[in-house]
Amino acid sequence: MHNYELVFIVHPDLDEEAINQALDKIKDWITKSGGSVVSVDNWGKKHLSYEIQKQNEGVYYFFKASMPTTAVAELERNLTILEPVMRHLIVAK
Amino acid sequence: MAEDDIREDGNNQERGGFARRYTPKPRFCQFCSEKTLEIDYKNTALLRRYTTEEGKIRPRRQTGTCAKHQRTVAREIKRARHIALLPFTGGTWEEKVR
Repeated sequence: MHNYELVFIVHPDLDEEAINQALDKIKDWITKSGGSVVSVDNWGKKHLSYEIQKQNEGVYYFFKASMPTTAVAELERNLTILEPVMRHLIVAK
Repeated sequence: MAEDDIREDGNNQERGGFARRYTPKPRFCQFCSEKTLEIDYKNTALLRRYTTEEGKIRPRRQTGTCAKHQRTVAREIKRARHIALLPFTGGTWEEKVR
């Protein structure tokens, strides 16, 4: 088990329900792979430094999680497929 | 090693050889002197000081950062760029709109 930081940008036009659904999905993936979510932080809506998917804004979420190393690649793949997430970053800490 | 380079450059300048664009006198690595300061992609205010106005990573000869910390600075800037906290190029988004 290692500690990871996960940052991702959610599409700004989504309503709260859709965002919560996506968040639950991500938490589910982490816990199901044998890890645990340590903390969840919402950075709120921020201006992007450059356009992503024709959007100038994005909602930032910051997770601290501990996961087994094998789960990271799987999570990475799932995040790229998950539609509300525009961009993500997983960093080992 | 690094000190030798500066002296060489200084001599070259006096001799009229090639000159570096800008060499500030007090050179010290901010991260070596402030051990508690953590270089992190989330700390954009700090990283912004290590990029030029166009968003390029500033070279060691301008910032005085040591080789070890320059590597981490570069890595964290690239992480911040990926997650759109820092621009790859140009100013901030607000500037472009105006």
